[in-house]
Amino acid sequence: MPPSEPRTPIASLNLEEQRVLAEALFTSIGDGAIATDEFGKITRINPTALKLLGYTEREMIGAWFPKKIVSIHENGDPVSLIDRPITRAFLTGKTIVEKTYYRKKNGQTIPVSITVSPIMLSGKPVGAIEVFRDITIEYEIDRMKSDFISLASHQLRTPLSAIKTYSHMLLDGYMGDITAPQKKSLRTIVSAANRMNELISTLLNITRIESGNVTVTLKNVDVEKLAEEVNKEHSLAASDKDITLSLHCSGKKTTVHTDALLFKEVLGNLVSNAIKYTPEGGKVALGIKNRRYDVLFSVTDSGMGIPKYSQEQIFTKFFRAHNVVKQETSGTGLGLYLVKGLVDALGGKIWFESSETKGTIFYVTLSKTGAVSAPAGDEEV
Amino acid sequence: MANILVVEDDKDLNNAYKIILESENHTVVSAFNGKEALKALNSFKPDLILLDLLMPIMGGLEFLQHYDLAKEHPDVKVLIFTNMENSPEVTEAYKLGAARCIIKSWTAPQNLARVITDTLENRAVNVAS
Repeated sequence: MPPSEPRTPIASLNLEEQRVLAEALFTSIGDGAIATDEFGKITRINPTALKLLGYTEREMIGAWFPKKIVSIHENGDPVSLIDRPITRAFLTGKTIVEKTYYRKKNGQTIPVSITVSPIMLSGKPVGAIEVFRDITIEYEIDRMKSDFISLASHQLRTPLSAIKTYSHMLLDGYMGDITAPQKKSLRTIVSAANRMNELISTLLNITRIESGNVTVTLKNVDVEKLAEEVNKEHSLAASDKDITLSLHCSGKKTTVHTDALLFKEVLGNLVSNAIKYTPEGGKVALGIKNRRYDVLFSVTDSGMGIPKYSQEQIFTKFFRAHNVVKQETSGTGLGLYLVKGLVDALGGKIWFESSETKGTIFYVTLSKTGAVSAPAGDEEV
Repeated sequence: MANILVVEDDKDLNNAYKIILESENHTVVSAFNGKEALKALNSFKPDLILLDLLMPIMGGLEFLQHYDLAKEHPDVKVLIFTNMENSPEVTEAYKLGAARCIIKSWTAPQNLARVITDTLENRAVNVAS
C-alpha cells in the first residue's frame, strides 16, 4: 500500500480478516500472552509464553489458568487464588499490573511483570488476556546497583577516612607540635576531605532514594539535642561569614520517632544552605516547635531569597536559582532534591516561604510517632 | 581505663585508632578481620570492641554471629565503625547486639575517643560524631 493512501480501518475488515489480524498480533508480540474464557480456562497462548513457561500448546489449551500457571511469592509460598491478578481482574473488571514469580514446567522460578486485562462485554467479563515478561535482567541490574552503592560507599570513603583521621591527628598534636602555617594547611586538607565526604554522601543517598533502597531505622530521637549538634557543626562556617546562627526551642526534651542520621542530614543540608546563601553579617535561625501531633522545624535566613519564577523548581534535581548561580558557584543543585527525598522517606512534609532579597524560611514537619505528618498549615506556623 | 579490641582491615586506620586510644590510656589489641578478632579473644577480654563491617576473610556481621554477644558476652559493648551509612548491614549489626554505629569518614579522632567513653559509660546515643 502506498504510504500516502489511508490505512483500512479495522471496523471495515471482514470477520476473517479481523481474526487473522488478531492472531498475528497475538503471536508476534515479544511478551508472553495468554487468553482465557470467562471461567479462566486457557483458550490461546502465544509462542513467547510457551517458551518462557516451558510448556507445549497442547499442555496449556483448555487448562485452568490459576492451576496451570503457578504464581509464587519471593519466599516461595504460593499466591492464593483470591490474590491472583487474573482473579482480581475478573472480580473488579479492571486491568491489574503486578510483579510476581512464575514457576516454569521444570520447577525453575522466574520474576515476571504481568498485566491482566478483563475482556468486557455488556459490563460483564467474558474472558481475560494476560501479557507478561521475564524481568530477571531488571532484577539482576537492581541487585548490581545496590551492590555498587555499598561498594562505592565503602571504597571511596576508606582512603578519605585515613586522610581525615591522620590530618586531625596532626592537628590535635598526636604527632607532636606543628607550626601555625602547617595547621592552616591541614585545616584546608580536612575541609576539602569534608566536602568530598559530603558529596559522596549526597550522591549515595540520592542513588538509594531513586532506587527505593533507603534504610530507615526508626528510634526515639531527642530532636532538640540533634538540632544543637547540627548548629554546633555549622558554627565554624557561620562565624567565617560573621553570621549569627541561633537555635530557638523549648529547652525541654522533644522526642520524635524517626531516623536520627537521615533527619540530621535534612537539618544539616537546610542550615548549610542557609549559611551559604546568606550574605556576611546576616542571620540564620533553626527553630523547633512541639505541636500536638507533630514537630515543626524551621530554618530561617536573611539571605538572597528564591525568585518567584524559580520557586516551583526548587526541589528538582540539579536546579539552581539564577540569583544564586551569579553569586555562589560551589553548589551542585542536589541538596534540596536530596532533602525532599529524605523528608518523603521519613513520612514528613517540607515547604518554604521566600522573598527575594529578604530571605527564606524552610519548614519541615515530622509526626511524633513516625507516621505521615498532618498537611502543611493544619496548625499555626 | 578500658580494654579495647580494634577490628579494622585497613592498616593505616587500625594504626591510627591504636595511637588515639592508647593516648587516652586504653589498652588496645588490634585485629585485621573477624577471624583474627575471634582468635585474639581467647587471650584478651575487652570491655569494648571497635568493629568494622566490611573486611576480608571474616566481616563484622559474621564475627558477631560467631561471637554471640547477647548470650555469651552481655557486658561487652560493640561499637560499629563503618563507612556503610544507612545500610541494611548496619540494621543487621544492631539486631546482633551492637550498641551503636558511627561513620568513619565523619568521625574526628577526639570524637572517636568521646564516643567510646560515652558507650562504655552507657550514656545516651549521641549521633554527632
